[in-house]
Amino acid sequence: MKRYRVLFAAVLVLTTLLATSVSAEKKVVTYWSWSPVKQTTDKMVAAFEAEYPDITIKATIYNYPDYLLALKTAAASDSLPDLIGLEPGAMTQEYRDYLVPLQDAAVEMWGEDWQDQFYPIGLDQARLGNPAGDENFYMLPMELQTTNLWYNRQLFDKLGLEVPTTWDEFKEVAAALRKAGIAPLVQGGADGWQNIDVFMMIAQQTAPGVIYKAEDGEAPFNHPGLVEAMRYWQELFTEGIVQPGAMGMSVYPNAASLFNAGRGGMISLGSWHMQTAKSEPPVPLSQGMLGVGAFLFPDVDGDGQPTYPPLGGIDFGIGMTKKALGKPEVLAVLDSFITGSGIQAAIDDFNDLPAVKGIEPNTFTTDHERELWAMFVDDWLPKVTAPRQLKSPEVRQGLMDALAAVATGQKTPEKALDDLQNAVGK
Amino acid sequence: MKNHGEARGDAIRKIAGWKRRVELGGFIGPAVFLFALFVVYPIIYLVYGSFFSWSGVGTMEWIGWANYARLAGDWIFRLALRNEVLWALFTIFPQMFLGFILAVCLNRPLFGRNIYRAILYMPAVISPVVIGIIWQSIYDPYMGPLADFLRSVGLGSWVRAWLAEPQTALFAIIAVNVWKWTGWSMIMYLAGLQGIPEEVYEAATIDGVNVFQRVTKIMWPMCRGTTLTLILLGVIGTLQEFALVYVLTKGGPNHASELLTTHIFNEAFTLRNMGYASAISVVLLIIGVVMSMLQLRYTGSGKTARGVL
Repeated sequence: MKRYRVLFAAVLVLTTLLATSVSAEKKVVTYWSWSPVKQTTDKMVAAFEAEYPDITIKATIYNYPDYLLALKTAAASDSLPDLIGLEPGAMTQEYRDYLVPLQDAAVEMWGEDWQDQFYPIGLDQARLGNPAGDENFYMLPMELQTTNLWYNRQLFDKLGLEVPTTWDEFKEVAAALRKAGIAPLVQGGADGWQNIDVFMMIAQQTAPGVIYKAEDGEAPFNHPGLVEAMRYWQELFTEGIVQPGAMGMSVYPNAASLFNAGRGGMISLGSWHMQTAKSEPPVPLSQGMLGVGAFLFPDVDGDGQPTYPPLGGIDFGIGMTKKALGKPEVLAVLDSFITGSGIQAAIDDFNDLPAVKGIEPNTFTTDHERELWAMFVDDWLPKVTAPRQLKSPEVRQGLMDALAAVATGQKTPEKALDDLQNAVGK
Repeated sequence: MKNHGEARGDAIRKIAGWKRRVELGGFIGPAVFLFALFVVYPIIYLVYGSFFSWSGVGTMEWIGWANYARLAGDWIFRLALRNEVLWALFTIFPQMFLGFILAVCLNRPLFGRNIYRAILYMPAVISPVVIGIIWQSIYDPYMGPLADFLRSVGLGSWVRAWLAEPQTALFAIIAVNVWKWTGWSMIMYLAGLQGIPEEVYEAATIDGVNVFQRVTKIMWPMCRGTTLTLILLGVIGTLQEFALVYVLTKGGPNHASELLTTHIFNEAFTLRNMGYASAISVVLLIIGVVMSMLQLRYTGSGKTARGVL
């Protein structure tokens, strides 16, 4: 019996020692988000942990609706993780009281000139919705994006089509695609965000900047330029540019799948679509991005210019909760996920565009892939000034309703925007 | 005046009574505690939250009845209420009758009937998210299999953008819901049919009852309990429905297929109006309680329940 007691005591001591040493060596940082997708986040975590073997990241990636729910619940029960994924504007502002201003940490990590290292649109949007006089950065951008149209190069080549540069050409290309039994512009209209993207691209030509002024109450939503944009939006449906049934289709997975399967000629997405180059299972059309090309929304106002500069901004950012105060390991993760090995892993996956300058994928499989990347980060992203996002969730929802009502023939463009003005106009 | 023996007896009975109460309390206490924690407390908090303007986190601003007053002018709320009624009517009864007919067919000796039963029941156990994604493709009027089929049989003019048109979106989702739950109704009726004594059928056969009469005069009436259960569960299911609508249309286009649950979700998590979403939830709760009480009162289910208890 005595022998067993000695053995038990030895095991207990050993276990305690091991547990103590593990907890003493391994620091844990918790991170929740809805983006990047889990596969990419796992790669970011692996890259970080390879660099910092004494720190473990416990990352939880939710789908978007679940994430909203999880954040609210955790905030209410004071159990938020150390780091949280954030959208600029309403989401960041909602959790502002729980977040640590990050500008001092940024100086510490990246020096006094840290803001010069970021693309300007990312920093502009990071403070979207801050109260007047509050210059704090409650979130920092991790990845940026631009919005644009994509086309199927193989189909265009096969049908002898050129990338449309004007509205008339756009309609002609759509007609040719339709005639060939191909959905011209695949739209996942059940997801209002894609409808807003298309409308904003048009409105940026017919009434540059007016939608943002309308949101601030400095212009009406039924401004003639916006009404004109809404008429073009309506034409997308009445002229058969968008496939029938578009308003009943979600972007992901259905509309994107249709395009990826080569059954759609064009689709409105953005720089993030480059991630299909690394999708699992592979998307044949996107191998080396050889099957697809990106272009800007064609000229609709007759000035010969497409929607340039494109709209864009923060894809997603990161915030540090007050729970993480005094934990240097959390700052190490923040650094890695914004400027270091973490974001490099995401960019290697073509997840989207980096928020800081000078990061690019370590490998390109084709020249076309490299050219696309260069177009996004050198030609488009530095020029972006107009945000893709609207500040107010109410305005966003109201605009989604107006676009759906026009697309389904329930309202005229004028009536839809009059109603929007009455509902959310200031 | 009680003698010593009687007083002692009273004392023992009193102690025994207390012991009995403590014992009973010990049995029901955990259940009452859990019920209070997970049902009563959230309801009280929901009602409390409906009197505030708040996003679900951070500060709460007391606004009294303003959220309820807002309901009166909310056209989406009215549309969602109308859709709830349509959903209940066009879901519960078709799925009940179809389930009954299938149960009658598969209650007879039939080669491979268990396989048929399993196949028909399968949609009930598939995630509504998966079903939603699949049916969105099926309904696609451009390249979906349903449209292809209709065109191939010369009914191309019937092809519509079922999920994309405000007039058809709700009914298209209802059809999917009926498809999903008919197998479940069938299983419930099968259980009911197998509870009918064989002697009843034998007596009916002697009386010369034909197949139609057997179904309408024996099977259907004797499955009344199952029917009432399905109606009750159908109403509750209607008020709880969310996932299928959210995946298929997100309540669109332009709120045409909005239900109270999707409206609540949108207000709470997209628009961050947790107070207003709470007010809609309170209305939904009241509707649910009233509907259940009315059903129990007027359909006789209450008697059955009391009889069992």
